[in-house]
Amino acid sequence: MTSKTIIVLGENLLAKELFKAIQKNNTGQVHLNELSTIGHVDIVIETTNLDLNDKKRKLQEIEAMVTSNTLILSSILHVTATEVASWLKHPERLIGFGTFSNFYESNLIEIAYPLQADSSYLQTAQETFQLLQLETEIVEDEVGLVFPRILSLIINEAAFALTEGTATVQDIDLAMKKGTNYPLGPFEWAEKIGLEDVYAVLLGLYNQYGEERYRPAPLIKKLVSAGWVGGDKEKGFYHYQYRKTKEYSI
Amino acid sequence: MVQINKVGVVGSGTMGAGIAQLVIQNGYTAIMFDIDQETVNKAKIGIEARLDRLVQKKKASIDEITSAKQLLKSTTTMEDFKDCQLVIEAAPEKIEIKRSIFQQLEQICSHKTILATNTSSLSITEISGQITHSKRVAGFHFFNPAPIMPLVEVIQGLKTAPETIEALVEFAKALNKEPVVCMDSPGFIVNRVARPFYNEALRIMNDQVATVEQIDRIMKRAGNFKMGPFELQDFIGIDINFAATKSVHAGYYGESRFKPHFYQERMVQAGNLGRKANGGYYRYDE
Repeated sequence: MTSKTIIVLGENLLAKELFKAIQKNNTGQVHLNELSTIGHVDIVIETTNLDLNDKKRKLQEIEAMVTSNTLILSSILHVTATEVASWLKHPERLIGFGTFSNFYESNLIEIAYPLQADSSYLQTAQETFQLLQLETEIVEDEVGLVFPRILSLIINEAAFALTEGTATVQDIDLAMKKGTNYPLGPFEWAEKIGLEDVYAVLLGLYNQYGEERYRPAPLIKKLVSAGWVGGDKEKGFYHYQYRKTKEYSI
Repeated sequence: MVQINKVGVVGSGTMGAGIAQLVIQNGYTAIMFDIDQETVNKAKIGIEARLDRLVQKKKASIDEITSAKQLLKSTTTMEDFKDCQLVIEAAPEKIEIKRSIFQQLEQICSHKTILATNTSSLSITEISGQITHSKRVAGFHFFNPAPIMPLVEVIQGLKTAPETIEALVEFAKALNKEPVVCMDSPGFIVNRVARPFYNEALRIMNDQVATVEQIDRIMKRAGNFKMGPFELQDFIGIDINFAATKSVHAGYYGESRFKPHFYQERMVQAGNLGRKANGGYYRYDE
Protein backbone atom coordinates (compact mmCIF):
# COMPACT_ATOMS: atom_id res chain seq x y z
CA MET A 1 0.00 0.00 0.00
CA THR A 2 1.88 3.05 -1.21
CA SER A 3 1.21 6.65 -2.18
CA LYS A 4 -2.07 7.07 -0.41
CA THR A 5 -3.40 10.35 0.79
CA ILE A 6 -4.34 10.19 4.44
CA ILE A 7 -6.01 12.84 6.54
CA VAL A 8 -5.76 12.76 10.32
CA LEU A 9 -8.49 14.64 12.09
CA GLY A 10 -8.61 15.70 15.73
CA GLU A 11 -7.20 18.11 18.28
CA ASN A 12 -5.96 15.54 20.79
CA LEU A 13 -2.60 13.91 21.47
CA LEU A 14 -3.62 10.81 19.58
CA ALA A 15 -4.20 12.81 16.37
CA LYS A 16 -0.80 14.47 16.64
CA GLU A 17 0.93 11.17 17.29
CA LEU A 18 -0.83 9.38 14.45
CA PHE A 19 0.07 12.23 12.11
CA LYS A 20 3.74 12.07 13.06
CA ALA A 21 3.84 8.29 12.88
CA ILE A 22 2.28 8.22 9.40
CA GLN A 23 4.55 11.04 8.24
CA LYS A 24 7.50 8.95 9.31
CA ASN A 25 6.36 5.69 7.75
CA ASN A 26 4.20 6.55 4.77
CA THR A 27 5.45 7.17 1.27
CA GLY A 28 2.27 9.03 0.39
CA GLN A 29 0.81 12.24 1.72
CA VAL A 30 -0.56 12.90 5.15
CA HIS A 31 -2.33 15.97 6.43
CA LEU A 32 -3.44 17.00 9.89
CA ASN A 33 -6.78 18.77 10.14
CA GLU A 34 -6.77 20.22 6.62
CA LEU A 35 -9.63 19.02 4.57
CA SER A 36 -10.88 21.66 2.19
CA THR A 37 -7.59 22.16 0.34
CA ILE A 38 -7.04 18.54 -0.57
CA GLY A 39 -8.38 16.84 -3.67
CA HIS A 40 -8.57 13.08 -3.55
CA VAL A 41 -8.41 11.39 -0.15
CA ASP A 42 -7.93 7.65 0.37
CA ILE A 43 -8.19 7.34 4.10
CA VAL A 44 -9.49 9.57 6.86
CA ILE A 45 -8.48 8.84 10.44
CA GLU A 46 -10.81 10.54 12.86
CA THR A 47 -9.90 10.67 16.56
CA THR A 48 -12.38 12.73 18.58
CA ASN A 49 -13.42 10.85 21.70
CA LEU A 50 -14.99 12.86 24.44
CA ASP A 51 -17.29 15.29 22.61
CA LEU A 52 -19.63 13.15 20.57
CA ASN A 53 -21.46 16.09 18.97
CA ASP A 54 -18.14 17.34 17.70
CA LYS A 55 -17.26 13.86 16.48
CA LYS A 56 -20.55 13.55 14.60
CA ARG A 57 -20.22 17.00 13.07
CA LYS A 58 -16.66 16.33 11.91
CA LEU A 59 -17.55 12.98 10.41
CA GLN A 60 -20.49 14.45 8.51
CA GLU A 61 -18.31 17.27 7.21
CA ILE A 62 -15.74 14.76 6.05
CA GLU A 63 -18.34 12.67 4.34
CA ALA A 64 -19.50 15.66 2.33
CA MET A 65 -15.96 16.21 1.03
CA VAL A 66 -14.66 12.74 0.22
CA THR A 67 -15.89 10.09 -2.18
CA SER A 68 -18.36 7.48 -0.96
CA ASN A 69 -15.72 4.74 -0.88
CA THR A 70 -13.07 6.60 1.12
CA LEU A 71 -12.12 4.50 4.14
CA ILE A 72 -12.97 6.21 7.39
CA LEU A 73 -11.13 4.99 10.46
CA SER A 74 -12.76 6.27 13.62
CA SER A 75 -11.56 6.06 17.20
CA ILE A 76 -14.25 4.25 19.16
CA LEU A 77 -13.36 4.75 22.82
CA HIS A 78 -16.69 6.37 23.69
CA VAL A 79 -19.18 4.70 21.29
CA THR A 80 -19.42 1.59 19.16
CA ALA A 81 -18.33 1.68 15.53
CA THR A 82 -21.87 0.67 14.66
CA GLU A 83 -23.23 3.83 16.26
CA VAL A 84 -20.60 6.01 14.58
CA ALA A 85 -21.35 4.39 11.21
CA SER A 86 -25.04 5.11 11.68
CA TRP A 87 -24.27 8.83 11.47
CA LEU A 88 -22.98 8.42 7.91
CA LYS A 89 -24.68 8.26 4.53
CA HIS A 90 -22.28 5.49 3.52
CA PRO A 91 -21.77 3.56 6.74
CA GLU A 92 -20.29 0.47 5.09
CA ARG A 93 -16.80 2.05 4.77
CA LEU A 94 -16.30 2.94 8.41
CA ILE A 95 -13.98 0.85 10.57
CA GLY A 96 -13.45 1.51 14.26
CA PHE A 97 -10.16 1.37 16.12
CA GLY A 98 -9.24 1.72 19.76
CA THR A 99 -5.99 2.86 21.27
CA PHE A 100 -4.70 5.50 23.62
CA SER A 101 -2.14 8.12 22.75
CA ASN A 102 1.38 6.87 23.44
CA PHE A 103 0.33 3.95 21.27
CA TYR A 104 3.84 3.92 19.82
CA GLU A 105 5.02 2.42 23.09
CA SER A 106 2.81 -0.57 22.44
CA ASN A 107 2.83 -2.97 19.53
CA LEU A 108 -0.82 -3.61 18.92
CA ILE A 109 -3.95 -1.75 17.97
CA GLU A 110 -7.48 -3.11 18.23
CA ILE A 111 -9.95 -2.75 15.43
CA ALA A 112 -13.66 -3.48 15.20
CA TYR A 113 -16.08 -3.24 12.35
CA PRO A 114 -19.66 -2.10 12.57
CA LEU A 115 -22.63 -4.28 11.73
CA GLN A 116 -23.05 -2.21 8.56
CA ALA A 117 -19.45 -2.66 7.38
CA ASP A 118 -18.31 -4.04 4.07
CA SER A 119 -15.43 -6.36 4.97
CA SER A 120 -13.23 -5.22 2.07
CA TYR A 121 -12.46 -2.05 4.04
CA LEU A 122 -11.20 -4.11 6.94
CA GLN A 123 -8.14 -5.19 5.02
CA THR A 124 -7.21 -1.63 4.10
CA ALA A 125 -7.63 -0.69 7.74
CA GLN A 126 -5.25 -3.45 8.82
CA GLU A 127 -2.72 -2.46 6.17
CA THR A 128 -2.85 1.14 7.31
CA PHE A 129 -1.88 0.21 10.86
CA GLN A 130 0.71 -2.29 9.67
CA LEU A 131 2.34 0.64 7.96
CA LEU A 132 2.89 2.08 11.44
CA GLN A 133 4.53 -1.19 12.52
CA LEU A 134 1.48 -2.08 14.59
CA GLU A 135 -0.13 -5.49 14.84
CA THR A 136 -3.89 -5.50 14.68
CA GLU A 137 -6.37 -7.58 16.59
CA ILE A 138 -9.98 -7.71 15.42
CA VAL A 139 -12.44 -7.79 18.28
CA GLU A 140 -16.21 -7.45 18.55
CA ASP A 141 -17.52 -3.91 18.26
CA GLU A 142 -18.01 -2.81 21.87
CA VAL A 143 -17.30 0.49 23.62
CA GLY A 144 -13.65 0.84 24.64
CA LEU A 145 -12.71 -2.52 23.05
CA VAL A 146 -10.36 -4.52 25.30
CA PHE A 147 -7.23 -2.67 26.45
CA PRO A 148 -8.72 0.83 26.76
CA ARG A 149 -11.71 -0.63 28.63
CA ILE A 150 -9.74 -2.66 31.17
CA LEU A 151 -7.12 0.04 31.73
CA SER A 152 -9.73 2.78 32.16
CA LEU A 153 -11.49 0.74 34.83
CA ILE A 154 -8.21 0.22 36.69
CA ILE A 155 -7.57 3.98 36.60
CA ASN A 156 -11.16 4.60 37.72
CA GLU A 157 -10.73 2.30 40.72
CA ALA A 158 -7.45 3.99 41.62
CA ALA A 159 -9.27 7.34 41.47
CA PHE A 160 -11.98 6.06 43.83
CA ALA A 161 -9.26 4.82 46.22
CA LEU A 162 -7.58 8.24 46.10
CA THR A 163 -10.87 10.01 46.73
CA GLU A 164 -11.38 7.89 49.85
CA GLY A 165 -7.91 8.72 51.13
CA THR A 166 -6.82 5.08 50.99
CA ALA A 167 -3.26 6.03 50.03
CA THR A 168 -1.27 8.69 48.18
CA VAL A 169 -0.94 8.89 44.40
CA GLN A 170 2.69 7.74 44.66
CA ASP A 171 1.92 4.84 46.95
CA ILE A 172 -0.95 3.59 44.79
CA ASP A 173 1.28 3.72 41.70
CA LEU A 174 4.15 2.04 43.53
CA ALA A 175 1.87 -0.65 44.97
CA MET A 176 0.50 -1.62 41.56
CA LYS A 177 3.97 -1.79 40.00
CA LYS A 178 5.65 -3.69 42.81
CA GLY A 179 2.72 -5.77 44.05
CA THR A 180 1.40 -7.00 40.70
CA ASN A 181 4.12 -6.18 38.17
CA TYR A 182 2.11 -3.57 36.25
CA PRO A 183 4.37 -1.76 33.78
CA LEU A 184 3.07 1.60 35.04
CA GLY A 185 1.00 2.72 37.99
CA PRO A 186 -2.61 3.68 37.17
CA PHE A 187 -1.97 7.41 37.74
CA GLU A 188 1.28 7.39 35.77
CA TRP A 189 -0.68 5.81 32.96
CA ALA A 190 -3.45 8.39 33.18
CA GLU A 191 -0.92 11.24 33.10
CA LYS A 192 0.71 9.74 30.05
CA ILE A 193 -2.32 9.07 27.90
CA GLY A 194 -4.42 12.00 28.99
CA LEU A 195 -7.39 11.68 31.28
CA GLU A 196 -10.01 12.86 28.75
CA ASP A 197 -9.73 9.62 26.81
CA VAL A 198 -10.03 7.57 30.00
CA TYR A 199 -13.10 9.59 30.90
CA ALA A 200 -14.51 9.04 27.39
CA VAL A 201 -14.20 5.25 27.78
CA LEU A 202 -15.83 5.27 31.23
CA LEU A 203 -18.65 7.53 30.13
CA GLY A 204 -19.16 5.41 27.02
CA LEU A 205 -19.37 2.20 29.05
CA TYR A 206 -21.68 3.84 31.57
CA ASN A 207 -24.00 5.00 28.77
CA GLN A 208 -23.85 1.71 26.90
CA TYR A 209 -24.60 -0.58 29.83
CA GLY A 210 -26.33 1.76 32.25
CA GLU A 211 -24.60 0.02 35.12
CA GLU A 212 -23.23 1.52 38.29
CA ARG A 213 -19.97 -0.42 37.88
CA TYR A 214 -18.95 1.84 34.99
CA ARG A 215 -19.71 5.12 36.77
CA PRO A 216 -16.74 7.44 36.31
CA ALA A 217 -15.15 8.52 39.60
CA PRO A 218 -16.28 12.10 40.32
CA LEU A 219 -12.62 13.05 40.75
CA ILE A 220 -11.91 12.12 37.12
CA LYS A 221 -14.78 14.28 35.94
CA LYS A 222 -13.49 17.20 38.03
CA LEU A 223 -9.96 16.86 36.71
CA VAL A 224 -11.26 16.78 33.14
CA SER A 225 -13.42 19.87 33.81
CA ALA A 226 -10.40 21.69 35.20
CA GLY A 227 -8.22 20.61 32.30
CA TRP A 228 -5.90 18.79 34.72
CA VAL A 229 -5.68 15.83 32.42
CA GLY A 230 -1.99 15.01 32.15
CA GLY A 231 -0.81 14.29 28.61
CA ASP A 232 0.58 17.53 27.20
CA LYS A 233 -0.93 19.53 30.08
CA GLU A 234 1.14 20.39 33.12
CA LYS A 235 -1.38 19.26 35.67
CA GLY A 236 -2.85 15.91 36.49
CA PHE A 237 -3.35 13.54 39.42
CA TYR A 238 0.09 14.24 40.89
CA HIS A 239 -0.51 17.96 40.86
CA TYR A 240 -3.99 17.50 42.28
CA GLN A 241 -2.61 15.62 45.25
CA TYR A 242 -0.35 18.53 46.20
CA ARG A 243 -2.74 21.36 45.59
CA LYS A 244 -3.54 21.81 49.25
CA THR A 245 0.03 21.88 50.43
CA LYS A 246 1.86 23.58 47.59
CA GLU A 247 -0.35 25.97 45.72
CA TYR A 248 -2.50 27.41 48.40
CA SER A 249 -0.22 27.39 51.42
CA ILE A 250 1.25 30.65 52.66
CA MET B 1 11.07 4.54 68.02
CA VAL B 2 11.27 0.86 68.93
CA GLN B 3 14.52 -0.84 67.94
CA ILE B 4 13.52 -4.10 66.32
CA ASN B 5 15.90 -7.04 66.79
CA LYS B 6 13.76 -10.05 67.47
CA VAL B 7 10.67 -10.83 65.39
CA GLY B 8 8.00 -13.38 66.21
CA VAL B 9 6.14 -15.00 63.32
CA VAL B 10 2.83 -16.70 64.04
CA GLY B 11 2.13 -19.48 61.56
CA SER B 12 4.58 -21.47 59.47
CA GLY B 13 2.59 -21.87 56.26
CA THR B 14 3.76 -20.39 52.95
CA MET B 15 3.49 -16.78 54.12
CA GLY B 16 4.76 -17.32 57.68
CA ALA B 17 7.79 -19.30 56.52
CA GLY B 18 8.47 -16.78 53.75
CA ILE B 19 8.39 -13.89 56.21
CA ALA B 20 10.63 -15.73 58.70
CA GLN B 21 13.12 -16.44 55.91
CA LEU B 22 13.13 -12.79 54.87
CA VAL B 23 13.68 -11.66 58.45
CA ILE B 24 16.70 -13.90 59.08
CA GLN B 25 18.22 -13.19 55.66
CA ASN B 26 18.35 -9.56 56.70
CA GLY B 27 20.11 -10.24 59.97
CA TYR B 28 17.23 -10.24 62.44
CA THR B 29 16.28 -13.05 64.75
CA ALA B 30 13.01 -14.80 63.87
CA ILE B 31 11.01 -17.02 66.15
CA MET B 32 8.59 -19.00 64.05
CA PHE B 33 5.56 -20.44 65.82
CA ASP B 34 3.05 -23.08 64.87
CA ILE B 35 0.68 -25.21 66.89
CA ASP B 36 2.51 -28.52 66.49
CA GLN B 37 6.16 -29.43 66.36
CA GLU B 38 5.91 -31.39 63.13
CA THR B 39 4.48 -28.48 61.15
CA VAL B 40 7.01 -25.99 62.38
CA ASN B 41 9.91 -28.43 61.85
CA LYS B 42 8.83 -29.03 58.28
CA ALA B 43 8.70 -25.29 57.66
CA LYS B 44 12.18 -24.86 59.16
CA ILE B 45 13.60 -27.57 56.89
CA GLY B 46 11.92 -25.88 53.94
CA ILE B 47 13.49 -22.51 54.78
CA GLU B 48 16.93 -24.09 55.18
CA ALA B 49 16.58 -25.84 51.84
CA ARG B 50 15.61 -22.57 50.13
CA LEU B 51 18.57 -20.81 51.72
CA ASP B 52 20.90 -23.59 50.51
CA ARG B 53 19.55 -23.15 47.00
CA LEU B 54 20.52 -19.47 47.18
CA VAL B 55 24.11 -20.59 47.75
CA GLN B 56 23.91 -23.02 44.83
CA LYS B 57 22.56 -20.25 42.62
CA LYS B 58 25.38 -18.02 43.90
CA LYS B 59 22.89 -15.48 45.18
CA ALA B 60 24.31 -15.70 48.70
CA SER B 61 27.57 -16.88 50.30
CA ILE B 62 27.84 -19.90 52.57
CA ASP B 63 28.78 -17.59 55.47
CA GLU B 64 25.69 -15.44 54.99
CA ILE B 65 23.44 -18.47 54.86
CA THR B 66 25.08 -20.13 57.88
CA SER B 67 24.58 -17.05 60.01
CA ALA B 68 21.02 -16.60 58.71
CA LYS B 69 20.19 -20.16 59.72
CA GLN B 70 21.44 -19.47 63.24
CA LEU B 71 18.96 -16.62 63.53
CA LEU B 72 15.97 -18.90 62.98
CA LYS B 73 14.27 -20.38 66.05
CA SER B 74 11.15 -22.45 65.97
CA THR B 75 8.63 -22.95 68.73
CA THR B 76 5.21 -24.26 69.63
CA THR B 77 5.01 -22.02 72.69
CA MET B 78 3.79 -18.51 72.12
CA GLU B 79 5.40 -17.43 75.42
CA ASP B 80 8.70 -17.45 73.50
CA PHE B 81 7.57 -14.19 71.88
CA LYS B 82 8.01 -12.48 75.26
CA ASP B 83 11.11 -10.49 74.22
CA CYS B 84 10.08 -9.77 70.62
CA GLN B 85 9.78 -6.13 69.59
CA LEU B 86 7.58 -7.13 66.67
CA VAL B 87 5.25 -10.07 66.11
CA ILE B 88 3.87 -10.73 62.64
CA GLU B 89 0.81 -12.91 62.51
CA ALA B 90 0.41 -15.07 59.39
CA ALA B 91 -2.28 -17.50 60.54
CA PRO B 92 -5.24 -18.66 58.39
CA GLU B 93 -7.59 -15.89 57.23
CA LYS B 94 -10.24 -16.48 59.89
CA ILE B 95 -11.21 -13.61 62.12
CA GLU B 96 -11.79 -15.78 65.24
CA ILE B 97 -8.33 -17.37 64.91
CA LYS B 98 -6.62 -14.01 64.44
CA ARG B 99 -8.48 -12.31 67.26
CA SER B 100 -7.63 -15.10 69.67
CA ILE B 101 -3.94 -14.93 68.64
CA PHE B 102 -3.82 -11.18 69.27
CA GLN B 103 -5.49 -11.60 72.65
CA GLN B 104 -2.85 -14.17 73.62
CA LEU B 105 -0.04 -11.99 72.31
CA GLU B 106 -1.27 -9.11 74.41
CA GLN B 107 -0.87 -11.24 77.54
CA ILE B 108 2.62 -12.41 76.56
CA CYS B 109 4.36 -9.38 75.05
CA SER B 110 5.12 -5.96 76.44
CA HIS B 111 2.54 -3.35 75.50
CA LYS B 112 5.25 -1.71 73.40
CA THR B 113 5.62 -4.72 71.15
CA ILE B 114 4.26 -4.00 67.69
CA LEU B 115 1.63 -6.52 66.72
CA ALA B 116 1.21 -6.83 62.97
CA THR B 117 -1.06 -8.97 60.84
CA ASN B 118 -0.24 -10.21 57.36
CA THR B 119 -3.93 -10.45 56.48
CA SER B 120 -4.84 -9.73 52.88
CA SER B 121 -8.58 -9.66 53.35
CA LEU B 122 -9.62 -8.91 56.93
CA SER B 123 -10.02 -5.55 58.60
CA ILE B 124 -7.09 -4.46 60.77
CA THR B 125 -9.51 -2.52 62.93
CA GLU B 126 -11.62 -5.62 63.51
CA ILE B 127 -8.62 -7.80 64.34
CA SER B 128 -7.41 -5.24 66.91
CA GLY B 129 -10.91 -4.57 68.26
CA GLN B 130 -10.48 -6.37 71.56
CA ILE B 131 -6.89 -5.38 72.25
CA THR B 132 -6.28 -2.89 75.05
CA HIS B 133 -3.26 -1.24 73.44
CA SER B 134 -4.65 -1.33 69.93
CA LYS B 135 -2.55 1.62 68.81
CA ARG B 136 0.39 -0.76 68.31
CA VAL B 137 -1.60 -3.04 66.00
CA ALA B 138 -1.26 -2.61 62.23
CA GLY B 139 -1.37 -4.51 58.96
CA PHE B 140 1.90 -5.65 57.39
CA HIS B 141 0.85 -7.26 54.14
CA PHE B 142 3.50 -9.17 52.22
CA PHE B 143 2.99 -10.64 48.78
CA ASN B 144 3.71 -14.23 47.88
CA PRO B 145 6.57 -15.27 47.74
CA ALA B 146 7.49 -12.95 50.60
CA PRO B 147 11.30 -13.21 50.24
CA ILE B 148 11.05 -12.13 46.58
CA MET B 149 8.08 -9.79 46.03
CA PRO B 150 9.28 -6.24 46.74
CA LEU B 151 6.04 -4.69 48.03
CA VAL B 152 4.73 -4.47 51.59
CA GLU B 153 1.44 -2.73 52.36
CA VAL B 154 1.57 -1.11 55.80
CA ILE B 155 -2.03 -0.72 56.88
CA GLN B 156 -3.32 1.77 59.38
CA GLY B 157 -6.36 0.64 61.36
CA LEU B 158 -8.65 3.25 62.89
CA LYS B 159 -6.82 2.94 66.20
CA THR B 160 -3.27 2.44 64.93
CA ALA B 161 -0.78 5.08 66.10
CA PRO B 162 1.36 6.93 63.53
CA GLU B 163 4.51 5.74 65.42
CA THR B 164 3.49 2.13 64.75
CA ILE B 165 3.18 2.86 61.03
CA GLU B 166 6.54 4.68 61.02
CA ALA B 167 8.27 1.79 62.77
CA LEU B 168 6.85 -0.73 60.30
CA VAL B 169 7.79 1.42 57.31
CA GLU B 170 11.37 1.62 58.62
CA PHE B 171 11.46 -2.09 59.31
CA ALA B 172 10.13 -2.91 55.81
CA LYS B 173 12.96 -0.79 54.36
CA ALA B 174 15.45 -2.63 56.59
CA LEU B 175 14.17 -5.84 54.98
CA ASN B 176 14.90 -4.27 51.57
CA LYS B 177 11.23 -3.98 50.73
CA GLU B 178 9.25 -1.10 49.27
CA PRO B 179 6.59 -0.10 51.80
CA VAL B 180 3.39 1.75 50.92
CA VAL B 181 1.05 3.11 53.57
CA CYS B 182 -2.69 2.71 53.26
CA MET B 183 -5.82 3.08 55.31
CA ASP B 184 -7.77 0.06 56.52
CA SER B 185 -10.20 -0.55 53.64
CA PRO B 186 -11.36 -3.70 51.81
CA GLY B 187 -8.57 -5.13 49.65
CA PHE B 188 -6.17 -2.36 50.78
CA ILE B 189 -4.51 -1.03 47.59
CA VAL B 190 -3.39 -3.86 45.37
CA ASN B 191 -6.22 -6.35 45.78
CA ARG B 192 -8.71 -3.58 45.27
CA VAL B 193 -7.25 -1.62 42.34
CA ALA B 194 -6.39 -4.85 40.50
CA ARG B 195 -9.99 -6.15 40.59
CA PRO B 196 -11.06 -4.69 37.20
CA PHE B 197 -8.07 -6.35 35.52
CA TYR B 198 -9.76 -9.71 36.15
CA ASN B 199 -13.44 -8.82 36.44
CA GLU B 200 -13.65 -6.78 33.26
CA ALA B 201 -11.60 -9.33 31.31
CA LEU B 202 -14.07 -12.02 32.39
CA ARG B 203 -16.99 -9.95 31.26
CA ILE B 204 -15.38 -9.10 27.91
CA MET B 205 -14.67 -12.79 27.37
CA ASN B 206 -18.09 -14.00 28.44
CA ASP B 207 -19.81 -11.36 26.28
CA GLN B 208 -17.81 -12.74 23.32
CA VAL B 209 -16.12 -9.40 22.62
CA ALA B 210 -12.79 -11.24 22.47
CA THR B 211 -11.43 -14.68 23.36
CA VAL B 212 -9.26 -15.58 26.36
CA GLU B 213 -6.21 -15.79 24.10
CA GLN B 214 -7.00 -12.49 22.40
CA ILE B 215 -7.52 -10.63 25.66
CA ASP B 216 -4.23 -11.90 27.07
CA ARG B 217 -2.42 -11.03 23.84
CA ILE B 218 -3.96 -7.54 23.69
CA MET B 219 -3.10 -6.72 27.30
CA LYS B 220 0.49 -7.83 26.77
CA ARG B 221 1.07 -6.30 23.33
CA ALA B 222 -0.99 -3.11 23.67
CA GLY B 223 -0.56 -2.55 27.40
CA ASN B 224 2.88 -4.05 28.08
CA PHE B 225 1.52 -6.15 30.94
CA LYS B 226 3.83 -9.08 31.70
CA MET B 227 0.92 -11.50 31.90
CA GLY B 228 -2.63 -11.29 30.61
CA PRO B 229 -5.58 -11.44 33.02
CA PHE B 230 -6.34 -15.10 32.29
CA GLU B 231 -2.73 -16.29 32.42
CA LEU B 232 -2.37 -14.46 35.71
CA GLN B 233 -5.54 -16.03 37.15
CA ASP B 234 -4.20 -19.47 36.19
CA PHE B 235 -0.90 -18.57 37.87
CA ILE B 236 -2.44 -17.25 41.10
CA GLY B 237 -5.15 -19.91 41.25
CA ILE B 238 -8.65 -19.13 40.01
CA ASP B 239 -10.11 -20.08 43.42
CA ILE B 240 -7.75 -17.66 45.20
CA ASN B 241 -8.60 -14.89 42.73
CA PHE B 242 -12.34 -15.58 43.09
CA ALA B 243 -12.06 -15.52 46.89
CA ALA B 244 -10.26 -12.15 46.73
CA THR B 245 -13.01 -10.70 44.53
CA LYS B 246 -15.76 -12.03 46.81
CA SER B 247 -13.99 -10.61 49.84
CA VAL B 248 -13.59 -7.09 48.37
CA HIS B 249 -17.18 -7.20 47.06
CA ALA B 250 -18.48 -8.15 50.51
CA GLY B 251 -16.19 -5.60 52.19
CA TYR B 252 -17.84 -2.82 50.15
CA TYR B 253 -21.31 -4.21 50.93
CA GLY B 254 -21.94 -5.33 47.39
CA GLU B 255 -20.65 -2.32 45.45
CA SER B 256 -21.27 -3.48 41.88
CA ARG B 257 -17.80 -2.51 40.61
CA PHE B 258 -16.48 -5.50 42.54
CA LYS B 259 -19.20 -7.98 41.65
CA PRO B 260 -17.65 -11.37 40.81
CA HIS B 261 -18.46 -12.93 37.44
CA PHE B 262 -20.42 -16.19 37.48
CA TYR B 263 -18.06 -17.70 34.91
CA GLN B 264 -15.19 -17.51 37.37
CA GLU B 265 -17.32 -19.40 39.88
CA ARG B 266 -18.08 -22.04 37.23
CA MET B 267 -14.34 -22.52 36.73
CA VAL B 268 -13.88 -23.04 40.46
CA GLN B 269 -16.85 -25.44 40.59
CA ALA B 270 -15.36 -27.41 37.70
CA GLY B 271 -12.04 -27.69 39.53
CA ASN B 272 -10.32 -25.77 36.72
CA LEU B 273 -8.23 -23.82 39.16
CA GLY B 274 -5.23 -22.99 36.97
CA ARG B 275 -1.65 -24.19 37.00
CA LYS B 276 -1.89 -26.07 40.28
CA ALA B 277 -4.75 -28.16 38.83
CA ASN B 278 -3.05 -28.66 35.46
CA GLY B 279 -5.59 -26.45 33.82
CA GLY B 280 -7.71 -23.38 34.07
CA TYR B 281 -8.23 -21.08 31.13
CA TYR B 282 -5.28 -22.87 29.53
CA ARG B 283 -4.06 -26.48 29.76
CA TYR B 284 -0.74 -27.29 31.40
CA ASP B 285 -0.58 -31.07 31.24
CA GLU B 286 1.88 -31.43 28.37
